[in-house]
Amino acid sequence: MADFIMIVVSAMFINNFVVVQFLGICPFLGVSKDFKSALGMGLAVTFVMAITCLITYPIYVYILVPLKIEFMEIIIFIFVIAAIVQMIEMALKKFSPTLYNAMGIYLPLITTNCAVLGVAELVIDHAQIAALIGIAEGAMNMGYAVLYGIFAGLGFTLAIVVMSGLREKVARLPIAKPLRGFPIAMITACFIAMAFYVFAII
Amino acid sequence: MMNLLLDNPSLSQTLPIVLAIVAVLAVVFAVLIVLVSKLCFVHEDERIPAISEHLAGANCGGCGYAGCADYAKALVEGKADLGACGATSNEGKEQIAKILGIPFSAAEETFAVVKCAGGINAKNKFDYVGNKGCDAQIAYLGGAKVCPEGCLGDGTCAAACSEGGIKVIDGVAVIDKVLCQSCGACVRKCPKNLIEIIPKKAVVFVACSTKCRGKDVMGACSVGCIGCGLCAKNCPQGAITMVNNLPVIDYDKCNGCKTCVAKCSRKTIKEI
Repeated sequence: MADFIMIVVSAMFINNFVVVQFLGICPFLGVSKDFKSALGMGLAVTFVMAITCLITYPIYVYILVPLKIEFMEIIIFIFVIAAIVQMIEMALKKFSPTLYNAMGIYLPLITTNCAVLGVAELVIDHAQIAALIGIAEGAMNMGYAVLYGIFAGLGFTLAIVVMSGLREKVARLPIAKPLRGFPIAMITACFIAMAFYVFAII
Repeated sequence: MMNLLLDNPSLSQTLPIVLAIVAVLAVVFAVLIVLVSKLCFVHEDERIPAISEHLAGANCGGCGYAGCADYAKALVEGKADLGACGATSNEGKEQIAKILGIPFSAAEETFAVVKCAGGINAKNKFDYVGNKGCDAQIAYLGGAKVCPEGCLGDGTCAAACSEGGIKVIDGVAVIDKVLCQSCGACVRKCPKNLIEIIPKKAVVFVACSTKCRGKDVMGACSVGCIGCGLCAKNCPQGAITMVNNLPVIDYDKCNGCKTCVAKCSRKTIKEI
């Protein structure tokens, strides 16, 4: 239970993928103009992150490590993520048109999202992930990996939803002309990052 | 990666393994993708792209769907009404009706007008300095205009127009008849419901929506309708009736003589 809470706090807040580790900035700035699409993007990322951890972790542990070709991880992970997203999209279209419509164009976009590759790379780095969630290095297993993937995705959702809410408000304000649009979005993102930084110094 | 490979003392052993693993994974995922795509094949109606071709392609959202493609899908599913699209020409709609196998009656070509000419002619209750947009302004005491039905001139309709056909001139929104696709996007956006769709053949329209009494209008706006009824009395065709102190023009009867424009003492009835 303590481990579970540690994973939640670590993945969602202390090491939030967007505003602390600066991964997945592209959708964070690109799809955060309105609340609805931000939420759709966030949930799609969460979904793909969980599935990615579920599949890349065993590939790394049971195929790459025994064969001593760990240096191939990035190439194989990119490949696996792209293939998985492709299959998920087709399966959703068939079995859940509602979910497919809700996630819409965001699902294929996620293929190139570095936050997804980032979480796949992080959970296989046993020393680092064990230090992040405060467990013994040898205790890392697939359950932790998938949980970390889910909550890292929820952390991404949290950040992008907060960002979209602020941007919706900011869009209505009388802002100096040079700051309108993208510059003020960067400043907004900066404030969110500072807010999250508080978790790192607890 | 090349360095890693070259530094590796057993290069000749590693390279085949790497190639084999990548090849195996590639084949496995290729087979999986083919299988999934076969299993999850969704039959898409071939009428959807055919209909999309005949739609105006303005993606204005006037029909209430996310875009032309979404509207085409709704048409095929029988959920949407062909008349909901204002942007598509009658010839285009005829083709679509043929594809769908439904009867089609040509609708009259229409465009939108703003039924207010207030702007700088209408008095303000206060100076509004808050957030931009009519929807934001109306939240504060119903907006700055004294007239409860006056155009706020903050351009919420202009922002909604996909054709750039609406401009705020002298504090009141004006719609360009040439650019207007009659999609109705602005009609839904106006928080005061001032925009109306009228037939393209119309030559005059009533540029006021006030429901106030004549005396109140006199104090609030120099171009507002005071409900005198002169236009209705003088119309040779009997096309104008007074409803709620406002003239309503029946465009089927109007022959464009413009008597009403000449008779209106407030210049409320305007030529187009």
